[in-house]
Amino acid sequence: MNFFDFHVHSVFSGGESNIEELASMAKTLGFKGFCFTAYPLDRKEEEILKTEIEKVKKEFGIEIFLGFEARNLKELRNLARRRKEFDVLLVRGGEIELNREACETPEVDILTHPELGRQDSGLNHTLVKLAAKNFTAIEINFREIMFTTKRTRALVLKNIQQNVRIAKKYKVPLIICSGAINHFEMRDPYSLISIGCQLGLELKEAKEAVSKVPQEIIKRISEKRNKNWVMPGVKIIK
Amino acid sequence: MKQKKLKILSPTLREKERYIAFQIISEEPISYSDLENAIWNCGLEFFGEYGISKAWLWLVKNLYDEKKQIGVIRTNSKSVFQAVACLSLISRLGDIRVVPKILKVSGTIKGLKLK
Repeated sequence: MNFFDFHVHSVFSGGESNIEELASMAKTLGFKGFCFTAYPLDRKEEEILKTEIEKVKKEFGIEIFLGFEARNLKELRNLARRRKEFDVLLVRGGEIELNREACETPEVDILTHPELGRQDSGLNHTLVKLAAKNFTAIEINFREIMFTTKRTRALVLKNIQQNVRIAKKYKVPLIICSGAINHFEMRDPYSLISIGCQLGLELKEAKEAVSKVPQEIIKRISEKRNKNWVMPGVKIIK
Repeated sequence: MKQKKLKILSPTLREKERYIAFQIISEEPISYSDLENAIWNCGLEFFGEYGISKAWLWLVKNLYDEKKQIGVIRTNSKSVFQAVACLSLISRLGDIRVVPKILKVSGTIKGLKLK
């Protein structure tokens, strides 16, 4: 089975590790590939990042995808406009407007931690229906569970379990990611699956959240990279 | 006075066990006692006393290799994912950053093929 971690930060996005360290750790832990998540950069930095990713890809023999994480509505709209230039579009959830926009926008691939910093779960049946329609995956963030304690952790777990329950009902893809900001925060696929099982997923569903859903996203990436692709639902046939 | 040992339960009455082999990737070597404390603390924090009591969690002392940092956790067959979750939630041992990696799950120690 091929496993992927689609939310890993580095020095380019407030993280502590460089791409080589992340790639080597991902390979040791048994991942086939990971998504290198950055915050929107200017063109020059983006080019440097892309060349570095290509270099590391060849060196370690691991698939690395370039993803951008939008932190507000303006960034999301900008990134959606130039969707063809990078691999994965993630949205940093938490604010209700941003969660809604992420679920409504077909260009978005992953809505990360929708419950971040909230008392409620950040999603309801309306948003989840929109996410299902646009194939926006909802993330279960491992880091959020790992670095919270006591009352906060209980609240986070409650909210994630609520999201899992609704997502399962409306058949929204769920994805389990480490959300690591350094290579020591990455976890192996088996650990991510077991955390998924504790949060209300069946074993099969938890496995899909680490392998099948990322693979579906990769499939969609290659479709979007095609010259004939115009926008979601529209492509040139002749 | 030496305590008398109980007669061993018949196989049908015994709890079915699973052994989880894991490796600790860390910046510095980790001792058995530090690791044992960390596993118990993480387990108690995440599942609570009642939850962890159901898992029959145990770190096997004589199978921990401090050089290779490979160890074995024993648990019952129904709580494998709970045990793995406990282990995966360990991020630091003191100042040392660690990453636990699951190597294999088996019903017998022999099946883990550690050597």
